[in-house]
Amino acid sequence: MIRAEKASLVYHDHGKEVFACREVDLAVQSGEFLGILGPSGSGKSSLLYLLSGLKTPSSGSVTYQSRRFDTLNDEERSRLRLREFGFIFQQPFLLGYLSSLENVLVARPGEERVEEAAELLESLGVSERAHRLPHELSVGEKQRVCVARALLGSPKVIFADEPTAALDHRNGEQVVDLLDRHRGEGSLVMVTHDPSMLAAADRVVSLIDGRPELPLDRASAF
Amino acid sequence: MINDAPVNIARVKRKPLAASTYLVRNAGKTIPLTGVIVLAVLLVAGIVSMIDSIPLSIRTIYHYSKSSLGITPRGDASLTPALRAEIERKAPVKPERTMLCRVSSAVVKSIVGKWPFIVIAMAQNDMRFYLAKLHATKLAGRLPMPGAPEALISEPVARNLHLKLGSNLLGPSNADAYSPNNVKVVGIAQTDEWLMVGTIEYHRAYHYPPVDVLLVFARNAEEQSVLDHWAEKYFKGRRAQIFAYHELEKNTNEMFQTLYKILNVVIGTLVLVITFMMAMLMNIYQSQRVQEFGLLQALGYTKRQLLQRVVRESLIVVVVGWALGVVVGFGLLNLVKVVLMDPQAYALDTADRVAFLYSVPIPIAIFLAASLTVIGRFRRFDPVGVVERRLV
Repeated sequence: MIRAEKASLVYHDHGKEVFACREVDLAVQSGEFLGILGPSGSGKSSLLYLLSGLKTPSSGSVTYQSRRFDTLNDEERSRLRLREFGFIFQQPFLLGYLSSLENVLVARPGEERVEEAAELLESLGVSERAHRLPHELSVGEKQRVCVARALLGSPKVIFADEPTAALDHRNGEQVVDLLDRHRGEGSLVMVTHDPSMLAAADRVVSLIDGRPELPLDRASAF
Repeated sequence: MINDAPVNIARVKRKPLAASTYLVRNAGKTIPLTGVIVLAVLLVAGIVSMIDSIPLSIRTIYHYSKSSLGITPRGDASLTPALRAEIERKAPVKPERTMLCRVSSAVVKSIVGKWPFIVIAMAQNDMRFYLAKLHATKLAGRLPMPGAPEALISEPVARNLHLKLGSNLLGPSNADAYSPNNVKVVGIAQTDEWLMVGTIEYHRAYHYPPVDVLLVFARNAEEQSVLDHWAEKYFKGRRAQIFAYHELEKNTNEMFQTLYKILNVVIGTLVLVITFMMAMLMNIYQSQRVQEFGLLQALGYTKRQLLQRVVRESLIVVVVGWALGVVVGFGLLNLVKVVLMDPQAYALDTADRVAFLYSVPIPIAIFLAASLTVIGRFRRFDPVGVVERRLV
């Protein structure tokens, strides 16, 4: 479904090249839960940005369903993300002037998905907060709303960048569980530094210095 | 599966990213922006309409001269009969009536001080014709009696100089409107024209030096215009001075040309200052939305979509601000007119199109500045910086 081939991402810091990802070869299969594990600064978020088309590789390629991201322009990549992907970030980013339900709807503009959004909030246990503004929600509730936003429209791939970073362990586990249970047939690519959050992953890739180590099976990740 | 209470979806915005949703729910930002535009429009339209009221006052106060051509001999009052005969013989249109009058000087008040005005002294039968010609059919009081120190004025003059029946229009102690006797107001004509009319017999007896004026009336406005233009050319360089309304208009326009040039510079500077301020303010507000733009772009909204949205928001703010400014400006000018101008019969056009047209560059300049600021911001914008919290 998504394939990275010798994909590198290089930043320039005061004239010096810094490799965030170095010649990564990785494939995301349809319907799988892929965990990307690594310590802070290992390049796991950068890899997620490469796989989701938020960044194009400095060298190598990333392909989604036979379409190389680097051959698409900014607008085409954006449209692809909006149509096919769902996102959850480290911080539960919500638009402050929209209610929880409206924030969920933001993920699929121009589509009549109010009922679906409401059902998602119900199944994620935040229906009573549906008409509340983000500042009236706890961090855990905000992240659940973000999960609902990522799930709306049943995206083909959900990218989760440290979705539990702002949560305590119990809430973190709940969020990952909700994501995994509600993603349907969609793939889930989740980046984390906490191996315990990847207990349900089909596959875990460990990243060190921007380069994946050998794929781990679930048992050896812990 | 966690199942919660059902959500009431009736009150949800189907298009949460509509420009109106942002503007209404961020009233704390929208109202000051709109307010500044309203005040700017108010300021510009107010200044321009007040300045416009000066030439408007000239046109209003001397409008009575549009209905007739005035000719006065230069240096020799004995030329008057010859001038009269020449007009009646040579004019391209036959005058409806030519009347011999005398004039004396008076003043009226305007928002920029005293302005000269004339008392036209005529025979009583000419007065009736003159008032009918100026559509002054209603009269409070009566016409001045032949030879008596009496005068007739119109309603705007009465308001302007606070005169009523029995007041003195001219008098020995009045330096601006002198006459050796007190000339009392005996009639007030109901008309919008500004008029001071006395008796020719009294003026012949008491006013020196004698100033004869021939008032020549054509049958209608078109013929009057033909007559006025003909007289202007025909008597050029001769011992006669012409008073025609189109000359007054031409002189007024020339007189205010420089003032309008200065006004253009002032308004232009004002628009620049306001635009600069607004662009700064909008830039600050847009900076506060970096997280929003970053998130939406990361989710998959294109820069073009986000730009269109911000442009729509700016457009709504400037259009609503300008429209409100026009409405408030119109209301305020009406208030000024009723409270300050009308009691003195000062002219003010509350629906002055030029004044409101002068305010049009404000929303346009602000809109362009806001749009360009956002375009510049989006050009170098990286949503990853936001979702990584580097740009928040």
